[in-house]
Amino acid sequence: MSIRSKLRRSWPGYVFLTPWLIGFFLLSIFPILASLYLAFTDYDAVNAPVWVGLENFQYMFEFDYRFWQSLKVTFLFVVLSVPAKLIFALIVAMLLDKGIRAVGWYRALFYLPSILGGSIAVAILWRQLFNADGVINSALAVFGIQGPYWLSDPNYSLYTLVVLAIWQFGSPMLIFLAGLRAIPQDLYEAAEIDAATPSRKFFAITVPMLAPVIFFNLVLQMIEAFKSFSGAFIISGGTGAPLDSLLFFTVYLFNEAFSYFRMGYASALGWVLLIIIAAFTAIAFWTSKYWVHYENERG
Amino acid sequence: MSTFNRRKFLGTAAAAAGSAAILSATGNSAFAQDRRIRHFWWGNPERDKRTFEVIRLFNEKNPGIVVAGETLGSADYFTRLTTQIAGRNMADAIQMGYGVMFEYINRGAILPLDEHIGKSLDISQIDESALSAGRVDGKLYALSIGANSHVSLYNTRLFDAASITFDPFGWTYDDLKRVAGEVTKATGVFGTDDNTADYQNFSDYVHQRGERLFDDEGNFGASAETIADYFAIWADLRAAGATPPGQVSAGLVGAELSNWGIVTGQTAISYAWSNQMVGVQNLMQDKVGAAMFPNTPEMIPGSIIQPSQFICLSRDTVDAEATTTYMSAFVNDPEMTAVLGLERGIPANAQVRAALQPKLTEIEATSVAFFDGIQGKTMDLAPPPPSGAQEIEAMFERVAVAVLLEQAPIPDVANQIRREAEGIRRRAR
Repeated sequence: MSIRSKLRRSWPGYVFLTPWLIGFFLLSIFPILASLYLAFTDYDAVNAPVWVGLENFQYMFEFDYRFWQSLKVTFLFVVLSVPAKLIFALIVAMLLDKGIRAVGWYRALFYLPSILGGSIAVAILWRQLFNADGVINSALAVFGIQGPYWLSDPNYSLYTLVVLAIWQFGSPMLIFLAGLRAIPQDLYEAAEIDAATPSRKFFAITVPMLAPVIFFNLVLQMIEAFKSFSGAFIISGGTGAPLDSLLFFTVYLFNEAFSYFRMGYASALGWVLLIIIAAFTAIAFWTSKYWVHYENERG
Repeated sequence: MSTFNRRKFLGTAAAAAGSAAILSATGNSAFAQDRRIRHFWWGNPERDKRTFEVIRLFNEKNPGIVVAGETLGSADYFTRLTTQIAGRNMADAIQMGYGVMFEYINRGAILPLDEHIGKSLDISQIDESALSAGRVDGKLYALSIGANSHVSLYNTRLFDAASITFDPFGWTYDDLKRVAGEVTKATGVFGTDDNTADYQNFSDYVHQRGERLFDDEGNFGASAETIADYFAIWADLRAAGATPPGQVSAGLVGAELSNWGIVTGQTAISYAWSNQMVGVQNLMQDKVGAAMFPNTPEMIPGSIIQPSQFICLSRDTVDAEATTTYMSAFVNDPEMTAVLGLERGIPANAQVRAALQPKLTEIEATSVAFFDGIQGKTMDLAPPPPSGAQEIEAMFERVAVAVLLEQAPIPDVANQIRREAEGIRRRAR
């Protein structure tokens, strides 16, 4: 079929897509290209951008120690929160898969934090929980434990956000649950006949069968974690305090853009984050061929 | 299928679209006479209520001009404003704070008012000191909508319980140590908030030491020795148990007013801007007293009286004449200023001040008395801070936390602050 006759047949589809396409070009493609341009300029939002070539990137890599600090914090957050969240989500999914009564209710209940999780209110609630005299420390005090200053001690502050991230396990959990349901029961029955232990069943059947879903969740959650913003922004009062221990990359980017009028520099930061996320996603995809096997694959 | 078929649907849609087009066309022409302007400020519920009432009064008195109000909390205000600057759709009249305003003036986001003076804008009754605070390079950019100064707020019940005597307009850091210690001993409440990471208090101290925050070239002027001495004063108080532990104070840097020690009852003294007195008192049972920031025995003035907030004409104004008419009424009109009261600070118009005097609440009267008390004990307003000053303030409050948490020796932190301040200034040039 020629392109022309293809178009003749599919034009109504494009017409119906138009509102979305307009939105996509106006609200996504155009800003993305604009920020790519701005990344190579000095732009204070008031005056016209001035082309500076690679100066933003040069400053970033050579002089800006807060840029490196924000990378460190963000990587630490990704490394700590993503595996913990996935493991937790998988555990809950496996419990729910056991055929508990009123499973629908539990699913909804466990998904609730994910709906609330990104919200400002929960971040504020989190701050109350982890305050020096907040709920967590009061609970610890019952057992005679003097809890640390979770939020004002740079050695602990990041962990409160990791816990917040784990608490939002709902969406990977639902995906795991669907994946678990799709594993043919006869595999487990066969394993049972062979007297396989539960852990053997888990590692020999569940994990390999679930690998595509694990991979999907891993990529999604990793991207999510790199982009994480509102929790750190609210809990640190927008600054990354204490001592830049909550200076997430996005928080730093936001401050450079909106507190200090460095839109060009912030755009450059944005592109660095994009490249980092793209690189890590690519690495994940590359490793996936060694551990992810799809059922309909030959070989 | 249903009776609402596709043809009917399209017909209805077309009719709706058509009538919307007609509506918007007539809508425009019907109001073409009105000059529509927008006023954007940051506020709180009380301020918003008063400001919307002022807008209603103005619109009633000035047929032909329609002011629309927009408001946000202060944290979101500047984010939105920066977005609007980039989109070239700032409101006509915008609110600014001393300090941050100069970043906007330097970049050209705010227009000078000189050509409107004597026409749509009347400044004949405004204090010269307030006008000079809004001038840059001889041009007037901003009208003060309330003067402000640094104030130590103390809990009078706790002070009475400890039988404290001190001179609120001439006390020293040694007095602070004595007073805070006595309060702690008598009441068990920590004597004072810990201002180690408070840039406002620090800037007072720099001037009290005879130095300047920024010299004429805009270089950071506080010496490492002064910075270290400032930290040492508070470290001394902390070691004496007159402040909460450093880790607690580290969590309160830049905290909302409702988390301050005097409000939560954790301490007896908190440090504020004078236009925050009413807000603090509203959250407290005990009566609030007002004193200046402490000084050194040499008593070199370090505090300033400065406009807390300004109203400015934005670069994106659609009607500068209508906007300056509104701005003029905002600072002069007797009815409008009566509604505003002292909420944004002490008005810069002497007639307005006189008219407000009989109607003051107790805490408002305290703040007026405080202002009378500090006259002649403050320093002249320094030249407008250079670009990067805001960032230096944020940097100070970030780095000084290392002292509170004892993560680095004081001299190292002092040197780091100097080094980073110089770096920020270099980059801002």
